[in-house]
Amino acid sequence: MSLEKLKPWFPWLTLAVLVLLVGAVNPAFFNPSGMVALVADIVPLFIMALGMTFAIYIGGIDLSMQQVANLVTVVATVYLAQFGIFVAVLCIAAGFGIGALSGWITTRQFVPSFVATLAMGFIALSGARFLSGERALSMDAEARDASFGWMFGNTAGVPHELVIAGVLLAIAWFLQTRTTFGRALKAVGAGELAAVASGLKVDKIKIMAFALSGTFAAIAGLMFSVKLSGGDANLANGFLILAIVAVLVGGTPLTGGVGGVINTLVGTLIVVVIRSAMVYLEVDATMQQMIFGIILIVAIAMTIDRSKMRIVK
Amino acid sequence: MAITQTTTRAGISRDTLVKWAPLLVLLVLCAFFAVMEPRFLSTRNFARILIAATPTLMVAIGVTFIIIMGSIDLSMEGAVSVCAVAFAYCFLWLGGTLASWAWLAIPFAMLVGAVLGFVNGLIHVKLKIPSFMASLAMGFVGTGLAMVMTGGDRIRIEDELFRALLTERIFGFPLMVYVAGLFLLIAWFIQTRTTLGRNFYAVGGGEDLAVASGLNVARVRIMGFTLAGVFFAVGALLAVGRIGIAETATGNNFMFLSITAVVVGGTALWGGIGGVWNTLVGVLIVFVIGNGMVVIGLPGYVQDAVLGLLVILAVILSTDRKSISFVK
Repeated sequence: MSLEKLKPWFPWLTLAVLVLLVGAVNPAFFNPSGMVALVADIVPLFIMALGMTFAIYIGGIDLSMQQVANLVTVVATVYLAQFGIFVAVLCIAAGFGIGALSGWITTRQFVPSFVATLAMGFIALSGARFLSGERALSMDAEARDASFGWMFGNTAGVPHELVIAGVLLAIAWFLQTRTTFGRALKAVGAGELAAVASGLKVDKIKIMAFALSGTFAAIAGLMFSVKLSGGDANLANGFLILAIVAVLVGGTPLTGGVGGVINTLVGTLIVVVIRSAMVYLEVDATMQQMIFGIILIVAIAMTIDRSKMRIVK
Repeated sequence: MAITQTTTRAGISRDTLVKWAPLLVLLVLCAFFAVMEPRFLSTRNFARILIAATPTLMVAIGVTFIIIMGSIDLSMEGAVSVCAVAFAYCFLWLGGTLASWAWLAIPFAMLVGAVLGFVNGLIHVKLKIPSFMASLAMGFVGTGLAMVMTGGDRIRIEDELFRALLTERIFGFPLMVYVAGLFLLIAWFIQTRTTLGRNFYAVGGGEDLAVASGLNVARVRIMGFTLAGVFFAVGALLAVGRIGIAETATGNNFMFLSITAVVVGGTALWGGIGGVWNTLVGVLIVFVIGNGMVVIGLPGYVQDAVLGLLVILAVILSTDRKSISFVK
């Protein structure tokens, strides 16, 4: 078997090796309830990474996700009392709108996605700071439990967070593999000019991909704010790098076209295992960002499709 | 770049308009704020704007060279933090005052900046990773490294000689403004009078041509990132001089402010046009907006949104839409 054929299995292999390694040093890692708690804890990150997958899959990137999530934590906290559970609609609409706007700016106005989303992120941050009055807000516990208490319950030992993650993964997977939209995404990621030539409405597809990443960022933000029972313009900071790492380590390259949401699941699990290994090995919390930065560079270098880039800018 | 000049009805070509628009915007902004609040025009206020702007100006000049090449460097937040912290530790270790051997901490910090930039360039060029992602990852590594070095602590620099950067004033403006002016001239010299400077434009103007005419593009790129690292270090030194503290957070906000400044100043993201004077105008626009908004009494968060809109608008206006088919 050639190396190229093995390549799609690298992320799975990495995950298996990491799990075995961590388990060998720390047998308590295999304790099922501990594992479930570990995975449940990472659900907001996973949802954000799912959204990021769409942006990267078409060869773009969404650097605004963290700020969109920040904005949503504030929106959710401020309007929970007024709208109850329907605040979720507001949050998701905000994420969808910001994402679609980013997509429109990159595709119709030719602003590279990393700049467009960076700038949109700051606009979202501005909104978050305005709405929150630059304070850390907290939710009314009763209203929170009444509307979103179900999010953190337990059915037969399975945390509801995991169920939500599973449902979202299923939706994303269905979109990616079972719809014409998903096939179109792959076509755009694999070769944009060819996709245009074959008559696809590339602009629309790209705008939709960014809208999806915004939507997922909003869902992640909503879960995060319910979980921490509050909102703040800086609450979700630190998620961006982890979300990008999860997508890339999972095997969706920066150049797009291959990989997908299942890869992101594997990538997120790799991030979780590395994180828990670092905690167990007592790697200083301050070191973690540095280590993830290095992992990010290695992951990009290993996955990127250089045949697609004649000139690397 | 497109050679064709589309002439508007007034007889001004698009290129001329793009060239002078940033300066015009700056003047209009100053006039607007001066009308809203006459105190805006005082020397005290201008000094305040310049003090706030100088560290960003240095960082923005560094990234200007990169953007002229058509690449981008997003590692400045990490690089500035690491340089600031490295400087502070070295400075205190060597005696803690400029009157002793501790002055060596200044070239040391610039060396640290150069090394970081060099590594950044190597990762981008040798591993063939797009520069925005390579440098973003390096920025994360840098912020992490600064955090490891300080353990989250703040390091105070209380040497009066070093703080003279802020406290000593000539004609109402502190020394750091003149230092920044000096480095601006150095950058201008590099841009116009050295082979390296011309090579940046060659790479940005058309990489195929540059390669075909025998230019070692990889080397130019790596040197560009190294040079940018040195300017990031100068920015870090001025930032420490301004607040007297070096910490992980020293680098915060530099990325968005400096990229915005470069783009708003008229250096196109596609490379090949613009330069350090554009960046000066861009930095002034960004900080005049920031200062003017405070002066006329708008809350600070409005600035983020305005800058976000401004950067999108600037990229749209500087893009010749006929010459590109799609962007990623």
